[in-house]
Amino acid sequence: MNELPDNGNYMVAGYVVASIIYLIYTVSLFIRAGRAERGER
Amino acid sequence: MTADLAPARRIIRRGRILTLLGLVGEVGIFVRALMFTPVEATQGLAQKIFYLHVPAAWSALFLGFGLVGVSSALYLWLEDPRLDRFAASSAEVGVAFSCVMLTTGPIWAKPIWGTWWSWDMRLSMTLLLFLLFLGYLSLRSALDDRSERGRYSAVIGVMALVLVPFIHLTVYLFRTLHPQPIVLKPSAPSLPPEMLITLLSGIAVAGVLYLGFVSMRYGIALAREVTEDARHE
Amino acid sequence: MADGTRAALAIAAKDLRLEWRSRSALLSAVVFAALVLVVFNFARDPTAVSTIDLAPSVLWVTFGFAAIVALNRAFTVERQHGALAGLLLAPVPRGSIFVGKYLANLVFVGTVELVTLPLFVLFFNIDLTGSLPGLLLIMLLASVGFVAVGTVFSAMAVRTRFAELMLPVLLLPFMVPPLMAAAQATARLLSGRPLSELAGWLRLLSLYDIAFVTLSILIFPAVVDE
Repeated sequence: MNELPDNGNYMVAGYVVASIIYLIYTVSLFIRAGRAERGER
Repeated sequence: MTADLAPARRIIRRGRILTLLGLVGEVGIFVRALMFTPVEATQGLAQKIFYLHVPAAWSALFLGFGLVGVSSALYLWLEDPRLDRFAASSAEVGVAFSCVMLTTGPIWAKPIWGTWWSWDMRLSMTLLLFLLFLGYLSLRSALDDRSERGRYSAVIGVMALVLVPFIHLTVYLFRTLHPQPIVLKPSAPSLPPEMLITLLSGIAVAGVLYLGFVSMRYGIALAREVTEDARHE
Repeated sequence: MADGTRAALAIAAKDLRLEWRSRSALLSAVVFAALVLVVFNFARDPTAVSTIDLAPSVLWVTFGFAAIVALNRAFTVERQHGALAGLLLAPVPRGSIFVGKYLANLVFVGTVELVTLPLFVLFFNIDLTGSLPGLLLIMLLASVGFVAVGTVFSAMAVRTRFAELMLPVLLLPFMVPPLMAAAQATARLLSGRPLSELAGWLRLLSLYDIAFVTLSILIFPAVVDE
């Protein structure tokens, strides 16, 4: 029976990086939306 | 003249709801992928990145950049500013999803293929389109006249659409010339049902997230334009 | 000769005459290409990679950059003389404006390539016997394509502040297919492969040319019309 390769760290890294990118973009949109709604640039 | 921001606000509100829905959905995908989907036999835990990577790729290429091409072509034909606003929004969202795709891709590749980058078809095409649309966005920010900005962006959008099959062919030919390491990719058709469901759910959630992002971005663009117009009265 | 064609040729001739009068742009582009070749030579390890393996890539990267430099030269002319604005006021068909500018750019880029080629042969010790006509064909097919896209993009980039940077950023992704096909075809040609092996790459180049020259002609009016 094959041993599963020990690459759990990569999995964690992948999920963390994806989360960070989605969160950064979401926050950026929310901030810009707030400014735009108030009529600022 | 005071700016009527009500339509933009409505769009942004819808966008906020969809975005938050999408994010909650993503959390759900995380949970399902990490805890309720079986581990792939040969690739191990790292394979689970697949459930984030493929949906992001799909949103970036077909939704994000694909729709830029379509709305650019329509804009050149119909000259409706809404199409230009949508193209710009979709381009930015496409870039965001591309960032996810281009980071999760190598992180997945390193443990599986032993190399961070291998000029794989999807990664190479996404990289080139990512750079192309960064150029698109930087051109837009360098042009102040709305008509010029819309027309020039649309020209790039349409040319990019025609370029895609050529890039596909180029990468394909490049790869046949330089045989890549044997790829242990889970082949989609023979995915066991639990994995398939996770993947499809991931794609659906990424679609919702796309809609949320694009709506917010579109609303922001609309609000800015309305404010700008009011200022010039 | 149809009015449109006559107009296109007149525009091309005028552009080229302007170039020839100063010649500084042509000279700068050629010197640039020569320097790129020299840099490539010193930037590699001659013991690690054989010249003949690297040569086609070096040639085509050089041609690609030289083409961008050549297309950039139109900007100063444009800004100083407002040539395009003037043309638009005249009753010249839009298609002719594109073809005129395109032809001028093609001649300019072609000249730079032709002058650079002997330098390439010299620096990299290339044996061109029997390959020259094939190489010229590859150069023609590749340049026809990316100069068309470059002409459209330079008309847009000139309206921005950092035109010299904007043009390469926009154009380089579009140069990937023709540069790759040209490099592959050149590699096979220089290693003495029969013409049949080049056919596929030449077909790809021709397909690209047809697609993008047509598209450029059709889409150029969107760049210049109000």
